[in-house]
Amino acid sequence: MIDIHHLSIDIAQQRRLDDISFQIKPHDYLCILGANGAGKSTLLKALMGIIPKSAGDILIANTPLEQLSQKQLARQLSYVAQSHNRHLDFTVTEFIKMGRYPHHGLFAHWSHEDQAAFDNAITLTHTEPFLARRIPTLSGGEGQRVMIAAALCQQAPFLLLDEPSSFLDPRHQVEVHHLIQNLNQQHQVGIIEVTHDINHAVQHSEHILALKAGKTLWTGPSADFLTSSTLPELYDQPFVMTAHPETGHQIALPSEQRLRQ
Amino acid sequence: MSPRYILLIIALICVVILLSTPYFGLSHHLDSDVASQILMQIRIPRVLLAFIVGAGLAVCGLVFQAMFNNPLATPFTLGVASGASLGAAIAVSFSLTFTFLGIDSISLLAFLGALITISFVYGISRFGSGFSIGTLLLAGVAVSFFFSSLILLTQYISDVTDSFRILRWLMGSLSIVGYQDIGRLFPIIGLVIALIFYFRRELNLLMAGDEIALSRGVAVMRVRYILFFSTSICIGAIVALCGPIGFVGMMVPHICRLLIGQDHHWLIPASCLFGGGFLILCDCVARLAIAPAEIPVGVITTLLGGPFFLWLLIRSRTHIS
Repeated sequence: MIDIHHLSIDIAQQRRLDDISFQIKPHDYLCILGANGAGKSTLLKALMGIIPKSAGDILIANTPLEQLSQKQLARQLSYVAQSHNRHLDFTVTEFIKMGRYPHHGLFAHWSHEDQAAFDNAITLTHTEPFLARRIPTLSGGEGQRVMIAAALCQQAPFLLLDEPSSFLDPRHQVEVHHLIQNLNQQHQVGIIEVTHDINHAVQHSEHILALKAGKTLWTGPSADFLTSSTLPELYDQPFVMTAHPETGHQIALPSEQRLRQ
Repeated sequence: MSPRYILLIIALICVVILLSTPYFGLSHHLDSDVASQILMQIRIPRVLLAFIVGAGLAVCGLVFQAMFNNPLATPFTLGVASGASLGAAIAVSFSLTFTFLGIDSISLLAFLGALITISFVYGISRFGSGFSIGTLLLAGVAVSFFFSSLILLTQYISDVTDSFRILRWLMGSLSIVGYQDIGRLFPIIGLVIALIFYFRRELNLLMAGDEIALSRGVAVMRVRYILFFSTSICIGAIVALCGPIGFVGMMVPHICRLLIGQDHHWLIPASCLFGGGFLILCDCVARLAIAPAEIPVGVITTLLGGPFFLWLLIRSRTHIS
């Protein structure tokens, strides 16, 4: 369980996050939406212990974040970045195995548990075919699956993703979206995902947190998001709604008109 | 080939170098007593010193390359060696002769110079909007220039003997050495290398970037400060005794990466052995090229290192931009 109470963060005397509160249970799937600079990445960095909070509380499994060591935190939360590091010259196997770091002490050796976590991570992400390859040789979609596998190898109950599909082509976007949904629904991984893909958030996540200028603009079940008409205000851009021809679900598309000033 | 065998081959070559080089250039007409005295009193300590200095420089270079994720970032290019040289030059020029906790003033000031430089250069590269590798390297260059002119200044205001001592030592040399020097240097470099080997998994993760390392549970800043501190001790101790011997810390780890891969579990011992063997060979060339006169070994490594630096620069241009 992650509990955030009245969290505020200042960076260089500027308020980046203002009085944010939410709660994520294990098995939950939360998408964080917002324009560039709204504080989405700041929130993820605060959860990862990179940026210190200015006010409020972050409780992870009922323990204040600042009382956890970096390793203890890594046993609760894992993280996937926007794209994979193309200069990282490890083999896929080596890199995924490095995900076991928070479970290793001073004289650790590779145990059965480590191997089980590794096998599980590559099975879920279908990364077996390129285990022997070097990371720089992977395509964007393959690289992102390897990054997710490495995070899963950590066996943390929560997975943080920062725009995991932004740089991928449509096919690999869908592939990554389905992978995340599968992890959440079949394998009970709690997901916190920052995304710009509104329709993906509405269709796949359970809850949405919409941030604007560091404040909570809207939060609630994803199914209610489009009917709440939050979108124009969230992005300062009009949207039109239509039904998806296949599924009949409501989808949002940016309007050709600019917002009247 | 598996890293285990590559490391074994490097170790074997290293043993051959260690055992054979003391005999190079030992004249045949000397009677055996003189020859064995030269061997025991001059050659063997010199080869041992070259080995531990080379190992220390290579492993410190490796740590910097891994921490900053760039083959051009080494203690030498970031001005850390210049800072240590300035500290040592000040100690010589102002005849500061004190000991603190059994460490002489030259080593102590060299260590302080190294530590202040890395803190300063790293501080500048993080100033404003986050870390930038370009700023780090340029700050290193600027600091190197600045310290070079300060060293010139200390030399200028020193008397002739001190001035010559500083000049000779700035070229980097392994020639003035007895067993006591090795006895003092060995535990320092040995401990620092052992500590760095302890952080091998953290170094692997740091290469993936700070965010990934943090999310995997590495206390990034703490690890970084410990490594800054320990490499500064190592560089300070080496520079105080032998002067700034450049580019070993850049060439050796990079070649080892190409040979054995990126895993620091293998890379650290490989760099250690390769660096030791490499500096012994460079010192042999320095000793024999224009015998009976000697070239300072720092001149040899820099002559090799300059072109290597340019080659790396061309190869990794995309990394920096």
